Amino acid sequence: MRPDEAAFFDALAREMNADPERFRRYGDADFVAVVTMRRESGDAFCVRLVIEGVACIDVTEIDADEAALADFGIDGPLHAWQAMFDDIVANGRATGLQTLNSLALLGNEITLVGTDPMGLDKFSRFNQTLQEFFDGAARVAADAPNRGG
Amino acid sequence: MATETYESLPETSPMGAPLDWAWLRGAKSEWGVRPKPSPRGLTMLDIAVGSYAEPQDHPLHRSMAPRGADIESGGPDMGYIVNDKSSVWADNVTELYEEAVARQWSATRDVPWGELRELPDDVEHAMCQLCTLLTEVEMIAADLPAKWMWRMNHDFIEAKMFLCTQIMDEARHAEVFRKRALSNGGGLLLSRSQPTSLLRTIIEAKTYTQATALMHLLGEGFVLDIFRMGELIAPTDVEKRIFRLCMQDEARHVAYGTMHIRYAIEHDPDVAEEIHEALDHGEIVLTDFGGAPDVSTALAVLLAGGVEHVEDKGFPLSMELSKKQFSSYLARCERAGISRLDRTKIPLDLLGIDPETIRAAGGSAPKGGRDAA
Repeated sequence: MRPDEAAFFDALAREMNADPERFRRYGDADFVAVVTMRRESGDAFCVRLVIEGVACIDVTEIDADEAALADFGIDGPLHAWQAMFDDIVANGRATGLQTLNSLALLGNEITLVGTDPMGLDKFSRFNQTLQEFFDGAARVAADAPNRGG
Repeated sequence: MATETYESLPETSPMGAPLDWAWLRGAKSEWGVRPKPSPRGLTMLDIAVGSYAEPQDHPLHRSMAPRGADIESGGPDMGYIVNDKSSVWADNVTELYEEAVARQWSATRDVPWGELRELPDDVEHAMCQLCTLLTEVEMIAADLPAKWMWRMNHDFIEAKMFLCTQIMDEARHAEVFRKRALSNGGGLLLSRSQPTSLLRTIIEAKTYTQATALMHLLGEGFVLDIFRMGELIAPTDVEKRIFRLCMQDEARHVAYGTMHIRYAIEHDPDVAEEIHEALDHGEIVLTDFGGAPDVSTALAVLLAGGVEHVEDKGFPLSMELSKKQFSSYLARCERAGISRLDRTKIPLDLLGIDPETIRAAGGSAPKGGRDAA
């Protein structure tokens, strides 16, 4: 399964919703995030995630011009996202500089974007929940051994 | 309103004392109000209905009587001096209280202390120096609300409840950094005077709004970015977890401060100048604090992964992250409605910060996020 398709994020959402206890230890979260993956071909894959409580209630592929309609966005080239997911799959969770916060703080390739500082701060307020959501890729990969196509 | 009159109630107790049934005989309260729990339970937002919802701008009574109750006149005065809603309120304060309650964690149980491993001496020293500093500065964000809360009108209960969560958060931060310093062979290291100067500036602020500008907007915003950086530079998963958990708490405090300043200025534009005056001084003290040798060197060593690459890697990366810290602060000021770009004492040129970029981005209202309503 490729990360730049809605089916991948649907699978992450299913992972979250199937195991709310994994997220309940961090507490309820409420935010709308947009993940943008820029392909070498020049186009981009954008997906909007709506997290409410301990559930992902919506995953929708959107146009790039809708990305601003969120609390915050995380934007970067597909190869950087792929490297992050590869690290998650290899280690069971993001490690070293491959955590979302580290990548966005360095901002070398993946950047935190948004026009509202209060929305941007939600990236920090709910960071553990968001990271756990992305770390679900390890279990998604285990369920789909042909991932990476 | 209740319709029963309960005519046959006794007028005296079995001991002969006079009885008062006013509470039963149809007081003016919103009898019949039944807010529905949301999917996650009955939240403070759910019960903010009718006359129980928001406090008045200038509540008249000065007791601890709960807002919305029938309050007997002539009660004792608790000596509140923060009696204007604009002096303490923020539109997101009730939401932040619920968030804080839902996202509490334990420094004892939720950090994998058993996974700590021996680190190179220079890295352990640097981590312990950073933890010494954080153990010292974190409790200011508990002491300061504690200093003001008993002076706040009790009608602003949601704001006071949120500040209680902040006090608990800061106690936990002091706990977790003290535990980290003491748990891996390093211990507490140097404490010098710069942090105290900053803390004293915050605690001695003349008004609560000045204090919150200095603490939530400036000080905690700065520490929030240290926590974000800490998660990046943490030598093991133990520190990574600590910084990530603290980061979430700190971001809540900053969110309250930003929105409180915005609320204060929107409802009392004259307060802007007193906030500016506080920040004029606070920025100088904070810049001194950020540049203090113990802080900057410890961070640079952690960023470099040790002393060997502190010059070619640690300091350049530290400089880049300082730029992000001050940019974040200035953007929050824009969002709070207290633009500092034409007045700040921060050396923007030296840091390579373009004020126009911040001006363009920082003042926007929320668009489609959860706070948009």
